[in-house]
Amino acid sequence: MLGNNLKMALAALRSSRGRSVLTMFGVIVGVVSVVTTVSLGQGIKQQVVGQINRLGSDLITVRPGSIVTRDNKGNITKINLSSAYGLNSGSLLPSDLGVIQKTPGVSLAVPIDLITSGIKANDQEYNGNAIIGTNEGLPDILKQRIAFGSFFSQADATQDVVVIGQNVALQMFQENAPIGMTLSIRGQDFVVRGVFDKFNSSPLPFGPDFNNAIYVPFQAGQAATGGTGQLVQVLVRPTNANATAKTISSLNDQLYAAHGQQNDFTVLKQDENLSVTSDILNLFTGFVAAIASISLLVGGIGIINIMFVAVTERTREIGIRKALGATNRQILNQFLIEASVLSLVGGIIGIILSFVIEGLLILLTNLQPVINWQIVLIAAGVALAVGIVFGITPAVKAARKDPIDALRYE
Amino acid sequence: MKATIKSSPVIALKDVSKLYGFGDATTVALDEISLEIEQGEFVAVMGPSGSGKSTLMNVIGLLDRPTQGTYMLANRSVARLRPNQRAKLRRDRIGFIFQSFSLLPRMNVLENVALPLAYRGVLPTRRLKRASIMLEQVGLSEREYYKPRQLSGGQIQRVAIARALINDPSIIIADEPTGNLDSNNSRIVMELLSEVHKAGNTILLVTHNPELTRYANRVVYMHDGSIVHDERTPIGEVPKLARRMMSLFPRKTEEDDLAGVSALMQAIPDKPTDIKPKTKTNRRKKRATKPMKRSTS
Repeated sequence: MLGNNLKMALAALRSSRGRSVLTMFGVIVGVVSVVTTVSLGQGIKQQVVGQINRLGSDLITVRPGSIVTRDNKGNITKINLSSAYGLNSGSLLPSDLGVIQKTPGVSLAVPIDLITSGIKANDQEYNGNAIIGTNEGLPDILKQRIAFGSFFSQADATQDVVVIGQNVALQMFQENAPIGMTLSIRGQDFVVRGVFDKFNSSPLPFGPDFNNAIYVPFQAGQAATGGTGQLVQVLVRPTNANATAKTISSLNDQLYAAHGQQNDFTVLKQDENLSVTSDILNLFTGFVAAIASISLLVGGIGIINIMFVAVTERTREIGIRKALGATNRQILNQFLIEASVLSLVGGIIGIILSFVIEGLLILLTNLQPVINWQIVLIAAGVALAVGIVFGITPAVKAARKDPIDALRYE
Repeated sequence: MKATIKSSPVIALKDVSKLYGFGDATTVALDEISLEIEQGEFVAVMGPSGSGKSTLMNVIGLLDRPTQGTYMLANRSVARLRPNQRAKLRRDRIGFIFQSFSLLPRMNVLENVALPLAYRGVLPTRRLKRASIMLEQVGLSEREYYKPRQLSGGQIQRVAIARALINDPSIIIADEPTGNLDSNNSRIVMELLSEVHKAGNTILLVTHNPELTRYANRVVYMHDGSIVHDERTPIGEVPKLARRMMSLFPRKTEEDDLAGVSALMQAIPDKPTDIKPKTKTNRRKKRATKPMKRSTS
């Protein structure tokens, strides 16, 4: 009976092809928008997660504010979103860097300090480039190569030198290796020491675009801006990768003491960092997908509408079928399957179109959307569900038609 | 006039009434009708429009429930059946042949004939095979894969007969099966029904046309929801009463038709007169409503 119903449904849809396509269009748009937003979110997540993974599982991140709530065993129970966005930075100070560096088990500690300032190069003003105050350990801890020149060394800590991202080199100096050129931050000239190799994407969650950033020695940057810096985070590599947990607890103890017995900082293992990041990204993706799914709702309303029209148009057919012995259930199934097929075909077309859009996005933009089989399956399932949910009312109407009235209808 | 055959009747109605509406607006469509139809009878039901023929067919065909009275179909009371059980009984026991548009337009002829079997859950290959055999019996083997719109009116009715027969029903209800056909096609369809009857099937034929009673062996006359006369007639003869009965009762449709024709003739002087009855009524309605609208506006 199902096969028969499917065949009849397809025949019915074919017989009013233009109308069917228009109705499907609503579902197609809905599926495309949901699949595309989710795939974009997945793409960003994969990039970020990939980058975090590239930094190594033994990397420890110290961040300001209390980002997470932990239970007694140290497992994360809750993520405090406002802190995770860095809204309450300022609790991690340059003095903490010294504390961290002196903590037993720490081999390398690299500060990340965001300096806000415009930049002048060749008498041109540039805004919107991130200035990152850091130390000589950055290339090592990020596992990023220097393409031209070299990174500043420990001896350069107070020297006015900078290393720049690849895009900055092209933007400000119109060449790949502007070694020895100068740019100025708040009137203070800095000499370009080196150029980073191209970063695939931001290695830090919600961090600045590293290809567009300028890296200055931490102290030199502070001197130029005349402020006490606030660290966005400190990246720490332990001496022994197997003793990461021990190093973390030492860090917690030392910082706890240094902060006057206050827990206004967070020490995260790399996998925790990963889960915090992916949780936030999932939230964003889910939010946008929820908005996109409103268009699916509109598609569903299109289906309910066209099915009501179909039921009225085919009143006579319903009468004949009932006279021939179709039960109400069989009539209901027929129209329900028709609505489902309409919606599912729309969903499948939508999925195919999503793949096309994914390809175009990869070709034409630097976004990396990812469509995995889960999204495809969910999209198809949701399309089918839309058909069933929105097809049920017209189908019930068809099933409940009085056979005599239906037969009289022309 | 009671049947003297020993075997129990296929259809037994006792004091069946059907009322529509409430209170003062109540209309009596069937007024305490008692009727028994034996296996193998070919019953023609005649009567003017509004005499309750269609309501009677709907009750017998399990499309409608009587307000009062008992209805036994093959010795089984159908009063307490739920809609689903009625549908299944309809599928297995009753074959319908309607006046027009009785085939589903999107299915081919073979699928149309096989449809009752589909509702019974017969597998596709088996039901199409049986439908093919049925089509052969009505002489339309070579039209299996045609769509209904590619067939003539007579062919459509022959397909409808094949479909009505496919579940080997207890009774075939034909509601003016030749109402839309010319005389030649009418004859072909009626000859086919006659053959079906000779093969042992029970047929209930509703008709306006007294000539068609020649195929029946029993004629029932209805008026105002009652059976006014019930007689057995030899097959091949039109009972005199049939023609007389039809002229005795005021035939609303005939009067209307005549009025319609004269209106038509006035409106279109050079229109040929050989228009089918159905078309006439339709045009009459259109002609009647249009000038009225004009006068009021």
